[in-house]
Amino acid sequence: MAEFIEGIVKVWNGYGSSFLNGALNTLIVSLVGTIAGCIIGFGVGVVQTIPTDKKDPLWKRVILTVVNLILKGYVELFRGTPMIVQSVFIYYGVRMVFDYQMDVWPAALFIVSINTGAYMAETVRGGILSIDPGQTEGAKAIGMNHFQTMMNVIIPQAFRNIIPQIGNNFIINIKDTSVLSVISFADLFFTHKSAVGALYLYFESATITMAIYLVMTVTASALLRLLEKKMDGDDNYDLATTDTLAYTSGLLSYHPKEKTLEDFK
Amino acid sequence: MSENIIEIQHLEKNFGSHKVLSDIDFSVKKGDVTTIIGVSGSGKSTLLRCINVLETPSGGKILFHGNDIDEKGFSVTDYRAKVGMVFQSFNLFSNMTVLQNCMVGQVKVLGKKKAEAEEKAKYFLEKVGMLPYINAKPKQLSGGQKQRVAIARALAMEPEVLLFDEPTSALDPQMVGEVLAVMRQLAAEGLTMIVVTHEMAFARDVSNHVVFMKDGVIWEEGTPEDIFANPKKEETKDFLSRFIN
Repeated sequence: MAEFIEGIVKVWNGYGSSFLNGALNTLIVSLVGTIAGCIIGFGVGVVQTIPTDKKDPLWKRVILTVVNLILKGYVELFRGTPMIVQSVFIYYGVRMVFDYQMDVWPAALFIVSINTGAYMAETVRGGILSIDPGQTEGAKAIGMNHFQTMMNVIIPQAFRNIIPQIGNNFIINIKDTSVLSVISFADLFFTHKSAVGALYLYFESATITMAIYLVMTVTASALLRLLEKKMDGDDNYDLATTDTLAYTSGLLSYHPKEKTLEDFK
Repeated sequence: MSENIIEIQHLEKNFGSHKVLSDIDFSVKKGDVTTIIGVSGSGKSTLLRCINVLETPSGGKILFHGNDIDEKGFSVTDYRAKVGMVFQSFNLFSNMTVLQNCMVGQVKVLGKKKAEAEEKAKYFLEKVGMLPYINAKPKQLSGGQKQRVAIARALAMEPEVLLFDEPTSALDPQMVGEVLAVMRQLAAEGLTMIVVTHEMAFARDVSNHVVFMKDGVIWEEGTPEDIFANPKKEETKDFLSRFIN
Protein backbone atom coordinates (compact mmCIF):
# COMPACT_ATOMS: atom_id res chain seq x y z
CA MET A 1 0.00 0.00 0.00
CA ALA A 2 2.74 2.39 0.98
CA GLU A 3 4.39 1.65 -2.31
CA PHE A 4 1.18 2.41 -4.17
CA ILE A 5 0.80 5.78 -2.45
CA GLU A 6 4.41 6.54 -3.10
CA GLY A 7 3.83 5.75 -6.76
CA ILE A 8 0.86 8.08 -6.93
CA VAL A 9 2.85 10.87 -5.36
CA LYS A 10 5.63 10.24 -7.82
CA VAL A 11 3.30 10.37 -10.81
CA TRP A 12 1.64 13.49 -9.48
CA ASN A 13 4.90 15.26 -8.76
CA GLY A 14 6.14 14.54 -12.21
CA TYR A 15 2.96 15.02 -14.22
CA GLY A 16 0.44 16.85 -11.96
CA SER A 17 0.27 19.96 -14.07
CA SER A 18 0.10 17.89 -17.26
CA PHE A 19 -2.84 15.94 -15.82
CA LEU A 20 -4.65 19.18 -14.96
CA ASN A 21 -3.87 20.61 -18.34
CA GLY A 22 -5.12 17.42 -20.02
CA ALA A 23 -8.30 17.55 -17.93
CA LEU A 24 -8.84 21.15 -18.99
CA ASN A 25 -8.40 20.23 -22.65
CA THR A 26 -10.85 17.35 -22.23
CA LEU A 27 -13.38 19.70 -20.65
CA ILE A 28 -13.00 22.34 -23.34
CA VAL A 29 -13.34 19.92 -26.25
CA SER A 30 -16.30 18.17 -24.61
CA LEU A 31 -18.10 21.39 -23.76
CA VAL A 32 -17.55 23.07 -27.12
CA GLY A 33 -18.36 19.81 -28.91
CA THR A 34 -21.59 19.37 -26.95
CA ILE A 35 -22.73 22.96 -27.53
CA ALA A 36 -21.85 22.89 -31.23
CA GLY A 37 -23.43 19.45 -31.47
CA CYS A 38 -26.62 20.84 -29.93
CA ILE A 39 -26.73 23.65 -32.46
CA ILE A 40 -26.22 21.19 -35.31
CA GLY A 41 -28.83 18.91 -33.75
CA PHE A 42 -31.41 21.68 -33.49
CA GLY A 43 -30.76 22.75 -37.07
CA VAL A 44 -31.15 19.22 -38.39
CA GLY A 45 -34.11 18.48 -36.12
CA VAL A 46 -36.01 21.59 -37.23
CA VAL A 47 -35.39 20.96 -40.94
CA GLN A 48 -36.47 17.33 -40.58
CA THR A 49 -39.77 18.34 -39.00
CA ILE A 50 -40.77 20.90 -41.66
CA PRO A 51 -44.20 19.76 -42.74
CA THR A 52 -44.75 19.25 -46.46
CA ASP A 53 -48.04 19.68 -48.16
CA LYS A 54 -49.20 18.35 -51.49
CA LYS A 55 -50.02 21.95 -52.35
CA ASP A 56 -46.44 23.15 -51.88
CA PRO A 57 -44.61 23.94 -55.13
CA LEU A 58 -42.61 21.09 -56.63
CA TRP A 59 -39.21 22.76 -56.17
CA LYS A 60 -39.82 23.13 -52.44
CA ARG A 61 -40.75 19.49 -52.05
CA VAL A 62 -37.77 18.33 -54.13
CA ILE A 63 -35.30 20.45 -52.19
CA LEU A 64 -36.72 19.31 -48.87
CA THR A 65 -36.58 15.66 -49.90
CA VAL A 66 -32.95 15.97 -51.03
CA VAL A 67 -31.91 17.92 -47.92
CA ASN A 68 -33.66 15.41 -45.68
CA LEU A 69 -31.89 12.53 -47.42
CA ILE A 70 -28.51 14.20 -46.93
CA LEU A 71 -29.26 14.87 -43.27
CA LYS A 72 -30.40 11.31 -42.76
CA GLY A 73 -27.17 10.08 -44.36
CA TYR A 74 -25.17 12.35 -42.06
CA VAL A 75 -26.92 11.03 -38.96
CA GLU A 76 -26.52 7.39 -39.99
CA LEU A 77 -22.86 7.82 -40.97
CA PHE A 78 -21.69 9.49 -37.79
CA ARG A 79 -23.91 7.51 -35.45
CA GLY A 80 -23.01 4.27 -37.11
CA THR A 81 -19.21 4.46 -37.01
CA PRO A 82 -16.88 4.70 -33.99
CA MET A 83 -15.51 8.14 -33.16
CA ILE A 84 -11.99 6.73 -32.98
CA VAL A 85 -12.22 5.65 -36.62
CA GLN A 86 -13.84 8.95 -37.62
CA SER A 87 -10.94 10.81 -36.01
CA VAL A 88 -8.33 8.95 -38.00
CA PHE A 89 -10.42 9.03 -41.15
CA ILE A 90 -10.95 12.80 -41.03
CA TYR A 91 -7.55 13.83 -39.66
CA TYR A 92 -5.49 11.82 -42.13
CA GLY A 93 -8.12 11.88 -44.87
CA VAL A 94 -8.03 15.66 -45.10
CA ARG A 95 -4.26 15.53 -45.44
CA MET A 96 -4.42 12.92 -48.19
CA VAL A 97 -7.30 14.36 -50.19
CA PHE A 98 -6.88 18.11 -49.76
CA ASP A 99 -3.16 18.14 -49.11
CA TYR A 100 -3.81 20.21 -46.01
CA GLN A 101 -2.51 19.46 -42.51
CA MET A 102 -5.26 20.21 -39.99
CA ASP A 103 -4.15 21.41 -36.58
CA VAL A 104 -5.02 19.03 -33.78
CA TRP A 105 -7.33 21.42 -31.94
CA PRO A 106 -9.66 22.31 -34.84
CA ALA A 107 -9.68 18.67 -35.89
CA ALA A 108 -10.65 17.54 -32.39
CA LEU A 109 -13.39 20.15 -32.05
CA PHE A 110 -14.74 19.35 -35.50
CA ILE A 111 -14.87 15.62 -34.91
CA VAL A 112 -16.55 15.85 -31.52
CA SER A 113 -19.05 18.44 -32.79
CA ILE A 114 -20.28 16.55 -35.83
CA ASN A 115 -20.35 13.30 -33.91
CA THR A 116 -22.43 14.83 -31.13
CA GLY A 117 -24.56 16.62 -33.73
CA ALA A 118 -25.59 13.29 -35.25
CA TYR A 119 -26.81 12.01 -31.90
CA MET A 120 -28.40 15.32 -30.94
CA ALA A 121 -30.33 15.47 -34.24
CA GLU A 122 -32.29 12.40 -33.21
CA THR A 123 -32.67 13.64 -29.65
CA VAL A 124 -34.00 16.99 -30.85
CA ARG A 125 -36.38 15.30 -33.27
CA GLY A 126 -37.69 13.23 -30.37
CA GLY A 127 -37.97 16.36 -28.23
CA ILE A 128 -39.94 18.18 -30.90
CA LEU A 129 -42.25 15.21 -31.46
CA SER A 130 -42.87 14.98 -27.70
CA ILE A 131 -44.50 18.41 -27.59
CA ASP A 132 -48.30 18.29 -27.67
CA PRO A 133 -49.52 19.03 -31.24
CA GLY A 134 -51.98 21.44 -29.60
CA GLN A 135 -49.07 23.81 -29.02
CA THR A 136 -48.37 23.92 -32.74
CA GLU A 137 -52.05 24.42 -33.51
CA GLY A 138 -52.29 27.22 -30.98
CA ALA A 139 -49.33 28.94 -32.64
CA LYS A 140 -50.68 28.40 -36.15
CA ALA A 141 -54.06 29.73 -35.10
CA ILE A 142 -52.57 33.12 -34.28
CA GLY A 143 -50.82 33.21 -37.64
CA MET A 144 -47.31 32.01 -36.84
CA ASN A 145 -45.36 30.28 -39.60
CA HIS A 146 -43.30 27.11 -39.08
CA PHE A 147 -40.13 28.98 -38.17
CA GLN A 148 -41.85 31.31 -35.68
CA THR A 149 -43.70 28.39 -34.12
CA MET A 150 -40.46 26.48 -33.71
CA MET A 151 -38.42 29.36 -32.30
CA ASN A 152 -41.01 30.74 -29.90
CA VAL A 153 -43.08 27.79 -28.81
CA ILE A 154 -41.75 24.34 -29.65
CA ILE A 155 -37.98 24.59 -29.25
CA PRO A 156 -37.99 26.23 -25.81
CA GLN A 157 -40.19 23.39 -24.57
CA ALA A 158 -38.30 20.69 -26.46
CA PHE A 159 -35.01 22.06 -25.13
CA ARG A 160 -36.23 21.80 -21.56
CA ASN A 161 -37.34 18.21 -22.17
CA ILE A 162 -34.04 17.08 -23.66
CA ILE A 163 -31.69 18.65 -21.11
CA PRO A 164 -31.19 15.25 -19.41
CA GLN A 165 -30.16 13.82 -22.77
CA ILE A 166 -27.86 16.78 -23.48
CA GLY A 167 -26.28 16.12 -20.09
CA ASN A 168 -25.87 12.48 -21.05
CA ASN A 169 -24.08 13.51 -24.21
CA PHE A 170 -21.82 15.91 -22.35
CA ILE A 171 -20.78 13.21 -19.92
CA ILE A 172 -20.28 10.70 -22.72
CA ASN A 173 -18.13 13.30 -24.49
CA ILE A 174 -15.97 13.88 -21.42
CA LYS A 175 -15.12 10.18 -21.45
CA ASP A 176 -15.14 9.43 -25.16
CA THR A 177 -12.92 12.31 -26.19
CA SER A 178 -10.16 10.04 -24.82
CA VAL A 179 -10.19 8.44 -28.28
CA LEU A 180 -8.80 11.71 -29.67
CA SER A 181 -5.41 10.63 -28.36
CA VAL A 182 -5.11 8.71 -31.64
CA ILE A 183 -4.59 12.04 -33.37
CA SER A 184 -2.30 13.15 -30.52
CA PHE A 185 -4.81 15.48 -28.94
CA ALA A 186 -3.38 16.25 -25.48
CA ASP A 187 -6.38 15.32 -23.39
CA LEU A 188 -6.42 13.62 -20.00
CA PHE A 189 -5.99 10.13 -21.39
CA PHE A 190 -3.11 11.28 -23.58
CA THR A 191 -1.39 12.64 -20.44
CA HIS A 192 -1.88 9.28 -18.75
CA LYS A 193 -0.25 7.53 -21.69
CA SER A 194 2.70 9.93 -21.58
CA ALA A 195 3.07 9.47 -17.84
CA VAL A 196 3.13 5.68 -17.99
CA GLY A 197 5.45 5.81 -20.95
CA ALA A 198 8.01 7.56 -18.82
CA LEU A 199 7.43 6.09 -15.35
CA TYR A 200 5.90 2.65 -16.00
CA LEU A 201 3.47 3.20 -13.11
CA TYR A 202 0.34 1.98 -14.88
CA PHE A 203 -2.01 1.40 -11.95
CA GLU A 204 -1.03 4.56 -10.11
CA SER A 205 -1.44 6.77 -13.16
CA ALA A 206 -4.74 5.09 -14.08
CA THR A 207 -6.03 5.73 -10.56
CA ILE A 208 -5.31 9.44 -10.89
CA THR A 209 -6.89 9.53 -14.35
CA MET A 210 -9.99 7.69 -13.17
CA ALA A 211 -10.39 10.05 -10.22
CA ILE A 212 -10.11 13.16 -12.39
CA TYR A 213 -12.63 11.81 -14.94
CA LEU A 214 -15.04 10.96 -12.15
CA VAL A 215 -14.76 14.40 -10.56
CA MET A 216 -15.47 16.01 -13.91
CA THR A 217 -18.50 13.88 -14.74
CA VAL A 218 -20.06 14.09 -11.27
CA THR A 219 -19.64 17.87 -11.23
CA ALA A 220 -21.12 18.11 -14.71
CA SER A 221 -24.22 16.15 -13.80
CA ALA A 222 -24.73 18.22 -10.63
CA LEU A 223 -24.47 21.45 -12.64
CA LEU A 224 -26.94 20.15 -15.21
CA ARG A 225 -29.48 19.33 -12.51
CA LEU A 226 -29.12 22.88 -11.28
CA LEU A 227 -29.74 24.23 -14.77
CA GLU A 228 -32.88 22.11 -15.09
CA LYS A 229 -34.21 23.43 -11.81
CA LYS A 230 -33.52 26.96 -12.87
CA MET A 231 -35.31 26.51 -16.20
CA ASP A 232 -38.41 25.13 -14.52
CA GLY A 233 -38.79 28.43 -12.70
CA ASP A 234 -40.59 29.19 -9.50
CA ASP A 235 -43.58 27.08 -8.52
CA ASN A 236 -45.31 30.20 -7.24
CA TYR A 237 -46.36 33.38 -8.95
CA ASP A 238 -47.38 36.82 -7.77
CA LEU A 239 -50.74 38.30 -8.51
CA ALA A 240 -50.20 41.58 -10.30
CA THR A 241 -52.54 43.53 -8.05
CA THR A 242 -52.83 44.82 -4.52
CA ASP A 243 -56.55 44.13 -4.45
CA THR A 244 -57.02 41.17 -2.11
CA LEU A 245 -60.38 40.40 -3.68
CA ALA A 246 -58.49 39.52 -6.85
CA TYR A 247 -57.62 36.17 -5.27
CA THR A 248 -61.19 35.12 -5.78
CA SER A 249 -61.39 36.19 -9.40
CA GLY A 250 -61.74 33.26 -11.68
CA LEU A 251 -64.04 31.55 -9.24
CA LEU A 252 -67.79 31.81 -9.34
CA SER A 253 -68.28 35.52 -9.00
CA TYR A 254 -66.88 36.80 -12.24
CA HIS A 255 -68.72 39.88 -13.49
CA PRO A 256 -67.33 41.45 -16.61
CA LYS A 257 -66.97 45.18 -16.29
CA GLU A 258 -66.73 47.74 -18.98
CA LYS A 259 -63.31 49.19 -19.57
CA THR A 260 -61.83 50.82 -22.60
CA LEU A 261 -58.31 50.91 -23.90
CA GLU A 262 -58.04 54.42 -22.43
CA ASP A 263 -58.02 53.02 -18.88
CA PHE A 264 -54.68 51.40 -19.54
CA LYS A 265 -52.87 54.48 -20.78
CA MET B 1 -72.98 38.98 -51.09
CA SER B 2 -69.82 40.96 -50.68
CA GLU B 3 -70.55 41.80 -47.06
CA ASN B 4 -69.96 38.16 -46.17
CA ILE B 5 -66.74 37.81 -44.20
CA ILE B 6 -66.61 34.07 -44.69
CA GLU B 7 -68.47 32.13 -47.29
CA ILE B 8 -68.30 28.38 -47.52
CA GLN B 9 -69.28 26.67 -50.75
CA HIS B 10 -69.77 22.92 -51.20
CA LEU B 11 -67.05 22.16 -48.65
CA GLU B 12 -65.98 18.53 -48.43
CA LYS B 13 -63.54 16.72 -46.21
CA ASN B 14 -62.47 13.09 -46.33
CA PHE B 15 -60.12 11.27 -44.04
CA GLY B 16 -59.05 8.48 -46.37
CA SER B 17 -62.23 6.86 -47.62
CA HIS B 18 -64.18 8.20 -44.66
CA LYS B 19 -66.35 11.15 -45.60
CA VAL B 20 -66.53 13.60 -42.69
CA LEU B 21 -68.07 16.64 -44.38
CA SER B 22 -70.10 16.78 -47.53
CA ASP B 23 -71.54 19.72 -49.41
CA ILE B 24 -71.37 22.27 -46.61
CA ASP B 25 -72.69 25.70 -47.57
CA PHE B 26 -73.06 28.65 -45.28
CA SER B 27 -71.88 32.18 -44.82
CA VAL B 28 -71.02 34.53 -42.01
CA LYS B 29 -71.60 38.28 -42.04
CA LYS B 30 -69.99 40.88 -39.84
CA GLY B 31 -71.45 40.77 -36.35
CA ASP B 32 -73.00 37.33 -36.80
CA VAL B 33 -72.87 34.88 -33.96
CA THR B 34 -73.22 31.49 -35.58
CA THR B 35 -73.48 28.39 -33.45
CA ILE B 36 -72.95 24.93 -34.84
CA ILE B 37 -74.71 22.18 -32.91
CA GLY B 38 -75.04 18.45 -33.34
CA VAL B 39 -73.92 15.18 -31.78
CA SER B 40 -70.24 14.35 -31.36
CA GLY B 41 -68.76 12.99 -34.56
CA SER B 42 -71.10 14.95 -36.80
CA GLY B 43 -68.20 16.94 -38.27
CA LYS B 44 -68.65 20.22 -36.38
CA SER B 45 -65.07 20.53 -35.19
CA THR B 46 -63.68 19.37 -38.53
CA LEU B 47 -65.70 22.11 -40.22
CA LEU B 48 -64.24 24.72 -37.89
CA ARG B 49 -60.72 23.35 -38.36
CA CYS B 50 -61.19 23.53 -42.13
CA ILE B 51 -62.20 27.19 -41.81
CA ASN B 52 -58.92 27.88 -40.01
CA VAL B 53 -57.00 25.62 -42.44
CA LEU B 54 -55.79 23.37 -39.64
CA GLU B 55 -57.33 20.70 -41.86
CA THR B 56 -57.07 20.95 -45.64
CA PRO B 57 -60.49 20.62 -47.22
CA SER B 58 -60.83 17.84 -49.82
CA GLY B 59 -63.23 19.82 -51.97
CA GLY B 60 -65.28 22.99 -52.22
CA LYS B 61 -64.26 26.54 -51.46
CA ILE B 62 -63.84 28.84 -48.52
CA LEU B 63 -64.00 32.53 -49.40
CA PHE B 64 -62.67 35.23 -47.10
CA HIS B 65 -64.03 38.62 -48.18
CA GLY B 66 -64.65 37.00 -51.53
CA ASN B 67 -61.10 35.65 -51.97
CA ASP B 68 -60.55 31.93 -52.25
CA ILE B 69 -58.22 30.95 -49.40
CA ASP B 70 -56.92 28.06 -51.49
CA GLU B 71 -55.80 30.43 -54.26
CA LYS B 72 -52.10 30.76 -55.04
CA GLY B 73 -50.63 33.82 -53.39
CA PHE B 74 -53.21 33.86 -50.60
CA SER B 75 -51.29 33.98 -47.36
CA VAL B 76 -52.66 31.42 -44.94
CA THR B 77 -50.70 32.88 -42.01
CA ASP B 78 -52.12 36.38 -42.61
CA TYR B 79 -55.57 34.85 -42.90
CA ARG B 80 -55.16 32.94 -39.63
CA ALA B 81 -54.12 36.15 -37.88
CA LYS B 82 -57.51 37.61 -38.89
CA VAL B 83 -59.50 34.49 -38.05
CA GLY B 84 -58.81 33.60 -34.44
CA MET B 85 -59.44 30.24 -32.87
CA VAL B 86 -60.15 29.08 -29.34
CA PHE B 87 -59.65 25.37 -28.71
CA GLN B 88 -61.35 22.85 -26.49
CA SER B 89 -57.99 22.02 -24.91
CA PHE B 90 -56.93 25.69 -24.61
CA ASN B 91 -53.50 25.15 -26.24
CA LEU B 92 -51.85 27.93 -24.28
CA PHE B 93 -48.08 28.06 -24.74
CA SER B 94 -46.78 26.32 -21.62
CA ASN B 95 -43.35 27.95 -21.81
CA MET B 96 -44.79 31.45 -21.47
CA THR B 97 -46.60 33.44 -18.82
CA VAL B 98 -50.17 34.57 -19.30
CA LEU B 99 -49.01 37.98 -20.47
CA GLN B 100 -46.44 36.55 -22.90
CA ASN B 101 -49.10 34.25 -24.32
CA CYS B 102 -51.17 37.28 -25.22
CA MET B 103 -48.20 39.27 -26.56
CA VAL B 104 -46.22 36.83 -28.69
CA GLY B 105 -48.61 36.83 -31.66
CA GLN B 106 -48.88 40.61 -31.69
CA VAL B 107 -45.11 41.05 -31.62
CA LYS B 108 -44.03 38.21 -33.92
CA VAL B 109 -46.91 38.07 -36.37
CA LEU B 110 -48.31 41.60 -36.41
CA GLY B 111 -44.92 43.20 -35.81
CA LYS B 112 -46.12 45.47 -32.99
CA LYS B 113 -43.83 47.13 -30.48
CA LYS B 114 -43.56 45.35 -27.13
CA ALA B 115 -45.04 48.22 -25.12
CA GLU B 116 -48.03 48.49 -27.41
CA ALA B 117 -48.56 44.72 -27.38
CA GLU B 118 -48.38 44.64 -23.60
CA GLU B 119 -50.95 47.39 -23.26
CA LYS B 120 -53.32 45.63 -25.61
CA ALA B 121 -52.75 42.25 -23.96
CA LYS B 122 -53.54 43.76 -20.57
CA TYR B 123 -56.66 45.40 -21.95
CA PHE B 124 -58.01 42.09 -23.20
CA LEU B 125 -56.90 40.18 -20.11
CA GLU B 126 -58.84 42.68 -18.00
CA LYS B 127 -61.83 42.09 -20.23
CA VAL B 128 -61.79 38.36 -19.45
CA GLY B 129 -61.01 38.97 -15.78
CA MET B 130 -57.48 37.56 -15.88
CA LEU B 131 -55.39 40.71 -15.47
CA PRO B 132 -54.17 39.78 -11.95
CA TYR B 133 -52.69 36.56 -13.34
CA ILE B 134 -50.34 38.01 -15.93
CA ASN B 135 -47.28 36.48 -14.25
CA ALA B 136 -48.73 32.99 -13.90
CA LYS B 137 -47.80 30.06 -16.13
CA PRO B 138 -50.63 28.09 -17.77
CA LYS B 139 -50.00 25.02 -15.58
CA GLN B 140 -50.81 27.12 -12.53
CA LEU B 141 -54.30 28.02 -13.73
CA SER B 142 -57.65 26.26 -13.58
CA GLY B 143 -59.35 25.15 -16.79
CA GLY B 144 -61.75 28.08 -16.87
CA GLN B 145 -58.93 30.53 -16.28
CA LYS B 146 -56.88 28.94 -19.06
CA GLN B 147 -59.77 29.22 -21.48
CA ARG B 148 -60.30 32.88 -20.60
CA VAL B 149 -56.59 33.53 -21.24
CA ALA B 150 -56.90 31.64 -24.54
CA ILE B 151 -59.80 33.91 -25.49
CA ALA B 152 -57.74 36.99 -24.54
CA ARG B 153 -54.83 35.66 -26.62
CA ALA B 154 -57.09 35.31 -29.64
CA LEU B 155 -58.70 38.73 -29.05
CA ALA B 156 -55.31 40.41 -28.74
CA MET B 157 -54.78 39.69 -32.43
CA GLU B 158 -57.98 41.72 -33.04
CA PRO B 159 -59.40 39.15 -35.43
CA GLU B 160 -62.34 39.80 -37.71
CA VAL B 161 -63.86 36.46 -36.82
CA LEU B 162 -63.28 34.29 -33.79
CA LEU B 163 -63.84 30.54 -33.99
CA PHE B 164 -64.65 28.61 -30.83
CA ASP B 165 -64.19 24.83 -30.93
CA GLU B 166 -66.24 23.49 -28.02
CA PRO B 167 -64.66 26.02 -25.65
CA THR B 168 -66.43 24.70 -22.56
CA SER B 169 -66.42 20.95 -23.17
CA ALA B 170 -63.29 20.30 -21.12
CA LEU B 171 -64.55 22.31 -18.14
CA ASP B 172 -66.60 21.47 -15.09
CA PRO B 173 -70.00 23.18 -14.75
CA GLN B 174 -68.79 26.01 -12.53
CA MET B 175 -66.10 27.00 -14.97
CA VAL B 176 -68.41 26.72 -17.96
CA GLY B 177 -70.28 29.69 -16.50
CA GLU B 178 -67.27 31.98 -16.34
CA VAL B 179 -66.25 31.22 -19.92
CA LEU B 180 -69.78 31.62 -21.28
CA ALA B 181 -70.06 34.96 -19.45
CA VAL B 182 -67.04 36.22 -21.38
CA MET B 183 -68.43 34.90 -24.66
CA ARG B 184 -71.81 36.52 -24.08
CA GLN B 185 -70.11 39.81 -23.43
CA LEU B 186 -68.09 39.53 -26.65
CA ALA B 187 -71.22 38.69 -28.63
CA ALA B 188 -72.98 41.71 -27.13
CA GLU B 189 -70.08 43.89 -28.24
CA GLY B 190 -70.60 42.79 -31.82
CA LEU B 191 -67.69 40.39 -32.30
CA THR B 192 -68.23 38.02 -35.21
CA MET B 193 -68.08 34.49 -33.86
CA ILE B 194 -68.57 30.92 -35.04
CA VAL B 195 -69.10 28.66 -32.06
CA VAL B 196 -69.20 24.88 -32.01
CA THR B 197 -70.95 24.05 -28.78
CA HIS B 198 -73.07 21.69 -26.74
CA GLU B 199 -74.39 24.62 -24.69
CA MET B 200 -77.91 24.86 -26.07
CA ALA B 201 -78.86 27.82 -23.91
CA PHE B 202 -75.96 29.77 -25.36
CA ALA B 203 -76.96 28.81 -28.90
CA ARG B 204 -80.56 29.81 -28.24
CA ASP B 205 -79.98 33.07 -26.37
CA VAL B 206 -76.79 34.49 -27.81
CA SER B 207 -76.49 33.44 -31.43
CA ASN B 208 -78.45 34.82 -34.35
CA HIS B 209 -77.78 31.87 -36.64
CA VAL B 210 -77.89 28.22 -35.66
CA VAL B 211 -76.55 25.39 -37.82
CA PHE B 212 -77.54 21.83 -36.98
CA MET B 213 -75.19 19.17 -38.31
CA LYS B 214 -75.57 15.44 -38.52
CA ASP B 215 -73.36 12.91 -40.32
CA GLY B 216 -71.24 15.60 -41.94
CA VAL B 217 -74.16 17.42 -43.49
CA ILE B 218 -75.99 20.61 -42.54
CA TRP B 219 -79.38 19.20 -41.72
CA GLU B 220 -81.13 22.41 -40.83
CA GLU B 221 -80.15 26.02 -40.23
CA GLY B 222 -81.88 29.23 -39.31
CA THR B 223 -82.52 31.66 -36.50
CA PRO B 224 -82.59 30.30 -32.96
CA GLU B 225 -86.40 30.58 -33.06
CA ASP B 226 -86.53 28.46 -36.22
CA ILE B 227 -84.35 25.75 -34.79
CA PHE B 228 -85.34 25.67 -31.14
CA ALA B 229 -89.04 26.60 -31.32
CA ASN B 230 -90.02 25.23 -34.73
CA PRO B 231 -87.57 22.59 -35.87
CA LYS B 232 -88.75 21.19 -39.19
CA LYS B 233 -86.74 17.98 -39.43
CA GLU B 234 -87.33 14.92 -37.28
CA GLU B 235 -83.59 14.60 -36.61
CA THR B 236 -83.38 18.13 -35.25
CA LYS B 237 -86.32 17.52 -32.92
CA ASP B 238 -84.74 14.26 -31.81
CA PHE B 239 -81.43 15.91 -31.04
CA LEU B 240 -82.99 18.83 -29.17
CA SER B 241 -85.36 16.70 -27.14
CA ARG B 242 -82.39 14.92 -25.61
CA PHE B 243 -81.00 18.23 -24.40
CA ILE B 244 -84.27 19.65 -23.12
CA ASN B 245 -84.90 16.64 -20.88
